[in-house]
Amino acid sequence: MSQVKLNTQAPEISLQDFKSKAVRLSDYYGKKNVVLVFNRTFT
Amino acid sequence: MAQLRQDYQRFVELDTEVIVIGPEGPASFSKYWQDHQLPFVGLPDPEHTVLKLYGQEVNLFKLGRLPAQLIVDRAGMVRYVHYGKSMADIPENQELLALLAELNQEPAEIIH
Repeated sequence: MSQVKLNTQAPEISLQDFKSKAVRLSDYYGKKNVVLVFNRTFT
Repeated sequence: MAQLRQDYQRFVELDTEVIVIGPEGPASFSKYWQDHQLPFVGLPDPEHTVLKLYGQEVNLFKLGRLPAQLIVDRAGMVRYVHYGKSMADIPENQELLALLAELNQEPAEIIH
């Protein structure tokens, strides 16, 4: 399984949030830093 | 994620968005966000497309997945990567906030 490397371009993410709004990682370019959290299961 | 919720404002002050991604569906996310009043972005990834792309390990011997956090700067570059070795292996928010403060000092460079 690939792991993302430091100081490389982050792979684009394109998903809908749980309110069905489209969210893309590239939406934040030039605007904000992003912390991506891949969480443990939440129940 | 309670810790993240508590510190969320500090991330906002550093011009940072927090996005949580997981294999649960939108209904689970929606309920969890409501139950815990979470302010950050939640992205359901039930098809595992992003999870596979970012290489989150599936720990076959335990339920759930190992945690991972990344910081992506304004140019879309990965500036911090942490793949947890155990379920509890999660960096402190302070570590992330300190790095974000440093990133914000850098001159803006947009890569097209």
